[in-house]
Amino acid sequence: MKWSNIRLILHRELRDQFRDRRTLFMIAVLPILLYPLMGMAYLQIAQFMQEHPVRVWLIGVDSLPASPPLVTDGHFDASLFANANSVSLVELSLEQPELAEGEEIASVAREALVANEFDAVVYFPSGMKDRMQIQLNETVSDESLWNPEVFFLGAKDRSRAAFDRVNQILGRWRTLLVKQTLADREIPADIATPFRIRVRDVSENASLNAAIWSKILPFILIVWALTGAFYPAIDICAGEKERGTLETLLSSPAERNEIVWGKLLTVMVFSVATSLLNLFSLVLTGTVIISHLGFLQSNGSFAVGPPPLHTMGWLMLALLPLAAMFSALALAFATLARSSKEGQYYLLPLLLVTMPLATLPIMPTTEINLGTSLIPVTGVMLLLRCLIEGDYLTAFKFVGPVTVVTLTCCWAATRWAVKQFNEESVLFRENERFDVIVWVRHLFRDRGDTPSLAEALMCGVLLLVLKFFAQLAAATPTSWRDVVVSTSILQIALIAGPALLMAVMLTGSVRKTLLLRMPRFTTVIAAVLLAFFLHPLALSLSEFIQRLYPISPDTIEQLAAFSGMITNAPLWQKLALMALLPAVCEELAFRGFILSGLRHIGSKGMAIIVSSLFFAVLHSILQQSLAAFFLGMVIGYVAIHTGSILPCIVFHAIHNSLQLIAASFFQRVATGSAAGEASAFETAIYNRIEPLVVESTVMPGMYVYRIPVIIVSIIAAGVLLYWFRSLPYVRTPEEELQDALEHQSDSPR
Amino acid sequence: MLHVRQLTKTYSDLMRGPITALSALTLDVFEGQIYGLLGPNGAGKTTALRILATVLQPTGGTASINGFDVVTQPSLVRRQLGFVSTNTAVYDRMTAREMVEYFGRLHGLDGELLEDRINQIFQRLQMNEIRDTLGGKMSTGMKQKVSIARALIHDPPVLIFDEATVGLDVLVARSLLAIISELRDQGKCIIYSTHIMSEVERLCDRIAIIHRGHVLSEGSLEELQERHQEDDFEELFFQLISQNEDQRLTP
Repeated sequence: MKWSNIRLILHRELRDQFRDRRTLFMIAVLPILLYPLMGMAYLQIAQFMQEHPVRVWLIGVDSLPASPPLVTDGHFDASLFANANSVSLVELSLEQPELAEGEEIASVAREALVANEFDAVVYFPSGMKDRMQIQLNETVSDESLWNPEVFFLGAKDRSRAAFDRVNQILGRWRTLLVKQTLADREIPADIATPFRIRVRDVSENASLNAAIWSKILPFILIVWALTGAFYPAIDICAGEKERGTLETLLSSPAERNEIVWGKLLTVMVFSVATSLLNLFSLVLTGTVIISHLGFLQSNGSFAVGPPPLHTMGWLMLALLPLAAMFSALALAFATLARSSKEGQYYLLPLLLVTMPLATLPIMPTTEINLGTSLIPVTGVMLLLRCLIEGDYLTAFKFVGPVTVVTLTCCWAATRWAVKQFNEESVLFRENERFDVIVWVRHLFRDRGDTPSLAEALMCGVLLLVLKFFAQLAAATPTSWRDVVVSTSILQIALIAGPALLMAVMLTGSVRKTLLLRMPRFTTVIAAVLLAFFLHPLALSLSEFIQRLYPISPDTIEQLAAFSGMITNAPLWQKLALMALLPAVCEELAFRGFILSGLRHIGSKGMAIIVSSLFFAVLHSILQQSLAAFFLGMVIGYVAIHTGSILPCIVFHAIHNSLQLIAASFFQRVATGSAAGEASAFETAIYNRIEPLVVESTVMPGMYVYRIPVIIVSIIAAGVLLYWFRSLPYVRTPEEELQDALEHQSDSPR
Repeated sequence: MLHVRQLTKTYSDLMRGPITALSALTLDVFEGQIYGLLGPNGAGKTTALRILATVLQPTGGTASINGFDVVTQPSLVRRQLGFVSTNTAVYDRMTAREMVEYFGRLHGLDGELLEDRINQIFQRLQMNEIRDTLGGKMSTGMKQKVSIARALIHDPPVLIFDEATVGLDVLVARSLLAIISELRDQGKCIIYSTHIMSEVERLCDRIAIIHRGHVLSEGSLEELQERHQEDDFEELFFQLISQNEDQRLTP
């Protein structure tokens, strides 16, 4: 890849976009004009905005005490309003209804409300006046005799507004009644209000500013980063296809990835520029309008200034990865489109997926934790919130996962875009009639030896969806038998089953797809040794992950209940169910069907990473998922270099067995509690290995190996992996081509 | 210079299954030669030339241009050739000069060398008038000139013209053919695809008649006339196509 070519393409695309009036309007003119215009319109409209009077029907006013007055001159008494000018906002009707025999007041009120004669109806029962005379020590029997009722239509805004006003007015009247009653009995009025709450917001103006802006700005940032990326992306991909210039570029010496990078950087420039211009324009307009409103309110409570400088700094920092991610996504979608028009259709689904991710962090209950930090976009926004609010310690803790996830997304989206540019079927796509039956027939008819990339991805998604629904549907196990049943169903029917079925139906060679071939014996031995050598690292990795991101108390409780269920099960059963069965089923699915299909990407590294991602997400506890990702990478590597599923199964089974045995062994020798007493043999072993281990500070009852042991085992594992690397392995045609393309020499063949 | 062996391209069509767009094309073109690919619309000419231009990948066979393989050394192949096709349009928002300069730079040309090449080509193709005209404002003939200038900027040894005269008026088409002929005289190796017989007769040293992805006959004009006992080239072409259609329909 030559930087000079990328720069050339970038310059050309930028110049091309700047010569396009539509793009210039969207990027520069719209944001500069939009917010001031919207602000102007808002201030104009605000002048005309007024509260409309509501109509209220008061029934039974005659039964009320004369003092304090509720109604004066056909209106609620002015003393009952916070603002005496608001009296006219409630129009009253004091007409008394004529009730027919057996007719209830509720039905009369309802009729009047539905007929839109009134917005609210208040009924004062006849017993109300007597209630006022009640003595202090008297007890009450039937409250319905005097408690007033308010009828309104909750489905109508105006009626709800009427209810709110009436409710406030009656509340104030009740307070006056209490005061008057107390005064009549010569009791100090304060006795009814033993204390008042004084509310004081002690946050500094700057942080108040930050809090207000931190709600709005990240959202604007995301919306415009996406929109700003999308339109140029459509123009420089689908538009070029339409105008016929794409083939001109493809036949130039520029390589496909140089073209993609050139275009990607162009889209990114526009994404960043649109977002920033919108941001600055909004902040400027917002500050002016808010200060104007503050001036109108004149009590200073609205005095919000411009956002602090550091807020803008963090926003700009977060904008770069977001813009990169959105630009790559937009570019990939735009490449997929045959025409600009088709390209615009893809914006909506992209927005529909992004918006919930962008709105989730705005909810006050959403906080950054390991789970939320791993969600693309959401993680960045939550991290941004921490930074804006000055919570640097939390931000520092989660900057790792957020960065990894965001960079992974950027990388995957870019790879996808490059891949789209290498797909003839995408670049030269023509209109084709789609028919489900024909498509299914095509899947059978044109199937290759191993699954296609799309089929592999589909299998991964299918397994995750099945697991998700199975988890929702399954009852929580209460005994070892339940665990056996649910684990067997999950592994056999929901993981291995679909993968095997897909392999039989969608591929020409089940043997090749599932790597069902006898490996060299030495590779199996090496897999066994690798599992042992990686065991100390695996334990420490689990501990490290849990130290960094503690498991939630709920999950700990569930895990404790689970380990309680399995404690008394025979060891061989535990190993068969929790080591051997998952090893066989998961390997067939993830290193068999999925990895075989993913190798059509043309990069074994990418295939291993994606298959490991699926493998990781399948584990429901996040902390386990992180460890599973690394485990998946190792097994994927072994699968590709041995070309057989057997070493993978052996490695996986032994890895799981060691984890299980270590857990029960350490718990018994260390605590000897619920896990049962340690045998003499176990104690003897413990005494031998004691110098090598140290008790874990985060995983109760667990031990981890000491640093020197871990280092030695890592070196040994590294040597073994290097040995695996030296094995001759079968490359896919895509991998061979990719390799040839990456090693193009200047000498003719 | 340009060697093609058993070049094959099959597409997977949802409705019809695998479709062979090009079947076992074999040809050799040398310096100072114009090789004509003649065939009706949909014969596979564009597919073959797109593979040679490395825009598409073959599903079988090999092709090498100036010693570089089109599958494994695509970017090096592209440095050896200039590709002008009905599908390689000019940018609407770029002037003729900017467009030619841009592709020159992509080919690694720079500074005075690039400037000289641009002046030379603009002079030769009589393009100085449209130097600063935007692509969107050009006529079809002007656009085609820009395309040729773009393809010639790096002085490639191999040139591919795919239906280069489509949409051009007689005068412009004539001057284009003259340019191509001139390029042959300079020693360029040229592949020229068309469905217009008179152009082939006038221009090509060797000809392959293609129909439905298959080469029906190949040789110089005289060889073809002799082989098929037909002096009228249009008649010869028609007979070959009809025979092939008849054979295809006969069970």
